[in-house]
Amino acid sequence: MIERSTRRQFIDRTCRLAGFVTLGGAAGLLARRASASAVYQVDPLKCTSCDLCRTSCVLSLSAVKAVNDFAKCGYCMLCPAYMDVTSMPDEKGVPAGRVCPQDALKRRVVGTVDPDDPNNNYYEYVIDEARCDGCGKCVKACLPPAGNGSLRLEIRYDRCVECNECAIQTACPDQAIVRVDVPGLSPKGHDVTHG
Amino acid sequence: MDPSPSDTPPLSLRERFFKSWFPPAAVVGGVATLVIAALRVRPEPRSPSPAPAGEPAPAITPPAPLERQYALVATIGGHALSAFRESLLDVGADHSGQVVALGDGHVRVFTAGGENLRQWRAFDGAECLAVGPDGRVYVGGAGRVDVFDGAGQRAGGFSFGDAGKPASVSAVAVHGADILVADASARLIRRFDASGRQLGLIGDRGKTKTFMLPNGKLDVDIDAAGVVRATDSGRHQVTAWALDGTPIGRFGKFGMRDPADFVGCCNPINVATTPDGKVVTSEKMVARVKVFEPDGRLLAVIGTEHFDPMCTQIPLAVDPTGRILAADPVRRLIRAFDLSAPGVTREEPR
Repeated sequence: MIERSTRRQFIDRTCRLAGFVTLGGAAGLLARRASASAVYQVDPLKCTSCDLCRTSCVLSLSAVKAVNDFAKCGYCMLCPAYMDVTSMPDEKGVPAGRVCPQDALKRRVVGTVDPDDPNNNYYEYVIDEARCDGCGKCVKACLPPAGNGSLRLEIRYDRCVECNECAIQTACPDQAIVRVDVPGLSPKGHDVTHG
Repeated sequence: MDPSPSDTPPLSLRERFFKSWFPPAAVVGGVATLVIAALRVRPEPRSPSPAPAGEPAPAITPPAPLERQYALVATIGGHALSAFRESLLDVGADHSGQVVALGDGHVRVFTAGGENLRQWRAFDGAECLAVGPDGRVYVGGAGRVDVFDGAGQRAGGFSFGDAGKPASVSAVAVHGADILVADASARLIRRFDASGRQLGLIGDRGKTKTFMLPNGKLDVDIDAAGVVRATDSGRHQVTAWALDGTPIGRFGKFGMRDPADFVGCCNPINVATTPDGKVVTSEKMVARVKVFEPDGRLLAVIGTEHFDPMCTQIPLAVDPTGRILAADPVRRLIRAFDLSAPGVTREEPR
């Protein structure tokens, strides 16, 4: 003889099942979020180099650093991001002032060196990340039409401590700090190398 | 026994001041301050403080009255029928003074006043053009030069460069049977005949190791005497060459103050020559056009008010009457400037 369940029993089981499904789903979602590889990053199209990356980061030296895209860089002798082109020129006619207040933008001659005429050389510009504080002055100075726009700000994953709520993202007036999914990246791992 | 009023100790001078004099004085002073603040005339913006002795002013000094003055005489592309909707890449002028422009993927021909006459489709990747003395239009781009007659019929063409990595053609100039092509990727100028046979190279010899082009743009023009002028923007110079590649001269240097100097990282960005042998240049960062003697003496400055400050180049051409045509790729307008007497100003056509 088949035992039929009452309506009360049916509702009771259904509610239990729904409760288990909800709990399981929530646990799965939390587990997925905990193991996610999403990181904070600067959207260069929105960033206005407002200097808040330097002042808002919880680290004493901001995790945001300037990065030079060598494919876009003009390797200029008179780099507007390196030299303050409005400053007084030295005896060679080259502006004496520098844009970076931390002296974090370094340059060296690439290719054949012409010691007599600096105009005959190409120069490679690299960021000294130990000095760069992410103020973005060089990024601003490199924007077209003055420069080629090869410099941009980037959150360095080997420095970022992945706060639950990024202080820079909260402060950014341009919503330029976004969450991006980078599969396989360990946000807090310090073994990440950057090219 | 209660103390009589005469027993009250006399007030000190300090107490009397704060009790009897200070309150009304404070009220009067506050009201006076408010009145003065309300009536205060807003001060004029302060003029920049004079530079210390021996140092030039911090800003670019306004150009002193120069030998030549140019006035805006026409604007092409500003009307609905003549507008460039997406792009304006280059400008030229034919022997009759008609304006030929490359934009929106088409070659478009205008009257000197800006009336649209005809247009035809250019190939994909076309970046520059030149008009030959016979009225033919030479369109260059991506390792290729196409030749059209004045009516837009294809009359020839040739291609060059490595397969899979075509040369970046940023300018074309024509002199007689010679076609000069600025190859920005190789940082030199190639000289071809009409069949596409390469006759020689310009700028590949000597200590200067070809042109320095931080922004990847090389512009070239050739005057009636056959002197080739090319921009060497990384060195802030205009260079002069014979057709066989022999360097003839160069002028220009970096500077942010003297209007005869070239500003920024890499200027001049475009060059053209006038029928009387003068050299016309354009700059980015401080978007302006200048006219020089061939030896580099500054003759005229066409100011920044005519161009969008975000221009990364201002392609130039000069028509047979000496009118300077300057293309503003940001506003997608061609400005025509003509010599005017000093002090003469004209309304900009709308």
